[in-house]
Amino acid sequence: MSFIDSIAAGLTLVGNIESFLALALGVIIGVIGGAIPGMSATMAVALTLPFTFAMQPITGILLLLGVYKGGIFGGSIPAILIKTPGTPASSATILDGFPMAEKGEAGRALGMALWASCTADLISNLSLILFAGWLASFALSFGPPEFFTLILFSLTIIAGVSGDSLLRGALSALLGLLLATIGLDLVYGTNRFTFGDPNMMGGLNFIAVLIGLFAIPEVIAMVWHPTAHLGKTRQLGSSWVSFADYKKSFKSIVRGSFIGVFLGSIPGIGAAPAAFLSYSEARRKSPDKENFGKGEVEGVAASEAGNNGVAGATLIPLLALGVPGDVITAIIIGAFMIHGLQPGPMMFVMNTSIIYGLFIGLIVSSVFLFIFGSLAIRGFKYVADVPKRILVPAVLILCVYGVFAVNNNIFDIGVMFAMGWVGYLMMRCHIPAAPFLIAFILGPLLEDNFRQSMLMSGSDPAVLIRGPITWFFWGATALTVFAIIRAGIRATKGLKSSTHEVDLSSE
Amino acid sequence: MKLNVKRLLAATAFGALATAAAAEYPERPINMVIPYGAGGATDISARTIAEPLGEAVGKPLVMVNVTGAGGATGSVNVQNATPDGYTMLFARVGSHSVNPAMKATLPYTLDDFRFVTVYEINPVACAVSPSSGIESMEDLIAKVNEGGVTYSSSGVGSLLHLAAVMVLKEYGVEDPLNQATHIPQKGGGAAATAVLNGTATFLCTNSSALANFVANNQLVPILVTTPDPVPGFDAPTAADEGKPALHQLVGWTGIAGPDDIPDDVAEKWGAWMATATQDQGFLEKMTTRGSVIELMDPAQANEFIETQYNTFRKLVDELGMRIEG
Repeated sequence: MSFIDSIAAGLTLVGNIESFLALALGVIIGVIGGAIPGMSATMAVALTLPFTFAMQPITGILLLLGVYKGGIFGGSIPAILIKTPGTPASSATILDGFPMAEKGEAGRALGMALWASCTADLISNLSLILFAGWLASFALSFGPPEFFTLILFSLTIIAGVSGDSLLRGALSALLGLLLATIGLDLVYGTNRFTFGDPNMMGGLNFIAVLIGLFAIPEVIAMVWHPTAHLGKTRQLGSSWVSFADYKKSFKSIVRGSFIGVFLGSIPGIGAAPAAFLSYSEARRKSPDKENFGKGEVEGVAASEAGNNGVAGATLIPLLALGVPGDVITAIIIGAFMIHGLQPGPMMFVMNTSIIYGLFIGLIVSSVFLFIFGSLAIRGFKYVADVPKRILVPAVLILCVYGVFAVNNNIFDIGVMFAMGWVGYLMMRCHIPAAPFLIAFILGPLLEDNFRQSMLMSGSDPAVLIRGPITWFFWGATALTVFAIIRAGIRATKGLKSSTHEVDLSSE
Repeated sequence: MKLNVKRLLAATAFGALATAAAAEYPERPINMVIPYGAGGATDISARTIAEPLGEAVGKPLVMVNVTGAGGATGSVNVQNATPDGYTMLFARVGSHSVNPAMKATLPYTLDDFRFVTVYEINPVACAVSPSSGIESMEDLIAKVNEGGVTYSSSGVGSLLHLAAVMVLKEYGVEDPLNQATHIPQKGGGAAATAVLNGTATFLCTNSSALANFVANNQLVPILVTTPDPVPGFDAPTAADEGKPALHQLVGWTGIAGPDDIPDDVAEKWGAWMATATQDQGFLEKMTTRGSVIELMDPAQANEFIETQYNTFRKLVDELGMRIEG
């Protein structure tokens, strides 16, 4: 079958009103689900899954893909407006999105998030269509040693999101690494720091930690000092993203999209690290480095490009290898199996029409995302106008419900509040929360892959430098660490000379 | 007799109304806990049976995923629930026979649950990567004796972990724990990927989890543990190989409640399941996914699980695999 034939076959499959309705409905459900704190994109997909059982395979899968894409974008709405990531992938968006909202630029941040998301989504979908085979075979060359070096390199992001003090960032990261050790030991299956409580055996719930760390400190701060915010402007105003903003951030968006595609095509990493990596790369390359973390529109663009870049690319291992790359695609692969479809290399031969139908649907989903995303922003942006004394209690209630709903477990709410106090203390001590989160996500991956590598090689460390991929990441890590140290030394020197000047002038 | 005393007590405590209501179980929706994540084998199986089962029950079934710690979190949830038949668990081979056999630290034992049914059996298959050059169990065993063979699993104390060890042991490998290396992964998908990308040599898991890799020629099956061949798996059965002991090594899904749910509740479940598993749509969906529908009544289910648990426990104790820490 030629390429044109395949496309035609795909078109006949999706060229009906149900498919497009399913896709549109999916995007709407996703955006709303993603926008509700605690109800992550993962949960939105999980809740939609049972409804697809009775549908045509392609319709059901398009519905789920719509929810997935919508959810990843939707998560940025509460991240920007109320400092609560709607979905873990949008945690990086908080770094600059929330400060922008505080400055009264919520509309501009949301608009940028949408534009960046749609651009990245398109790039990601095109990469899936054009390079699926190539990227899939590349992904298969990632064994534990390659993973270990990649994660090691990714940990250097911590320097990029630490803000002013690298030391405080490192402290935050250490705390995150420590808490990530709770749960079952991967290799021995023994309990670690569970204190005999079955609730701790599965480790701390990620969503509970995430919301506790970001949203709850705001609530506590409000209780502590109820009138602190008075006198600050925080309306949406008429601010909207301009084409100049988009043009300025375009490089970061494209770079972020490709980081997303790259990390998305390797099973097991997920969207949050991609967003953080894209953010820290954008910050490193930007001339306005100083402004990052204080409300820089390019920061929002980079994080959103990073996480949406993952969305299409995670389908590469799913379709080409039959391997789910993250929790969401693990649910989506369930939908394939329910309909008797077996994703993998043969599917490209046996079910070409379905594959091409999905491709067409995906491209259309980027358009739908733009349309419904704009509408959602229009609806949600008024949240920024709600007085804080009403908004904050409402956020608290949503967080409690959301965290409970993740696993129907009351213990998780306790985790959320405990982490809320940790987050509040960190905020008071000017310790950034982002490094904590990165360490919490990457720490277990680093440990597991290191130990798996050691099991593979019989404890011979040489396995960690076994091929070009590992060499590349070792090199990249060394370079980045060197650059961080150099920048640190320069900053200290600069600080010394400037204080010296101040001393002179005061004399 | 014991039951009558209980009923009398209930009647004096709550009045005649409560007894009348208890006789009419179920009078409100039933919570069904799925201890594994959405889209997984247990989740799909549970949601497929929920459709005809809900009709048979006549009250809504509220499906809740409570995940974590290899099914332990959700299981504990049901273990501690009121034994009134309104909180039931979709139990699985991992959470209710492998885990209890392997983990001393597990917060529950088999005795904390009463099974009302087992309705699905999943054959277990072992597979290798086509590039490994291994074509049969003999090849694999020869390689094990050479050394350097590894196997992946979805974690310590999972069915996959135990299955690989049990198969090697049955094939005469004296000390499977030291002659082959276990490389645990996080989840079944990751375990299959590890064999795909050469991190591990082989894995043994439910045939349904391997079906798509086998259909796509990414993995080669070398053994299925059931007496009958599994459609789509061109591999000898344990019966062909003369290893009947391996027939015990199968996955299953069942429904359980806390250990002291009343007899009449258990009986009702038995009857509902008998109706639900007759449903054509259900049968069709399950068999295309490679499951064998085999309905067991409460007594058979308890016996089946007990036997499997004892087989596993014996192996675990013999090899010193039990996790105490």
